[in-house]
Amino acid sequence: MKRSNEPIAWSLFGAGGMLLALIGPGLVFTTGFLLPFGEPVATWHAVDAFIAHPLGKLFLLAVIALPLYHTVHRLHHGLQELHVPLPHGLVALLCYGSATVLTIASASWLLVR
Amino acid sequence: MRRPWRPAQRWNWWQHNPAYRRYLLREATALPLFVYALVLVSGLYRYTQGQLAFTRWLEAMQSPGWLAFHALAAAACVLHAITWIELVPKLLVVPGISGPTIKRGHQVAALIGSAVIVGAALASWPLGGAGS
Repeated sequence: MKRSNEPIAWSLFGAGGMLLALIGPGLVFTTGFLLPFGEPVATWHAVDAFIAHPLGKLFLLAVIALPLYHTVHRLHHGLQELHVPLPHGLVALLCYGSATVLTIASASWLLVR
Repeated sequence: MRRPWRPAQRWNWWQHNPAYRRYLLREATALPLFVYALVLVSGLYRYTQGQLAFTRWLEAMQSPGWLAFHALAAAACVLHAITWIELVPKLLVVPGISGPTIKRGHQVAALIGSAVIVGAALASWPLGGAGS
């Protein structure tokens, strides 16, 4: 019997859902309103110092990757539930594939610093 | 081979039941939050291009469209948090701790969590960059 990938997808979905529930509203408020209206030079140095730290890198990767996997999981199942006439396998590939590509890209950009 | 009977379900099955509409609204929070994650990725990408590029990205985020989007994303995230924590007692069963206590604990943790993020940000850079 072919093994299902569902447990992996659900673990990432669950971790992303919990992360978004526990710090999501504060995170959206911070990057959506506090970051753009910060004093630009000081904001750059604060972000630069944050990304320079290994824990800062880990935090940023978590807040990018886990919500990505969480949201694509819901979108993937939501499209099915609305009977959108798209091949199930293709939608799954696009959803989890885009989350994986963006996660790898983000990780590599964080490591370059 | 077994061929089960599958009842036909119309695409608008959720329209006439408030509980189904609430369910779909909950699932729909994923759309603005997915775009929000893309915004974070774009900010990180602009960061890798240097200080000038990152400052340009910050200025773009000051536009009314992006501010409106972040207001929507924040509202979606609050709805997500409320509905997610509502379900936690069904997934996380701890002997000796009642469901309502687990839920209350997560609600308090969520309030503290978001407050810590905002507090840390306020302590990390001064505000006052609008229109710069």
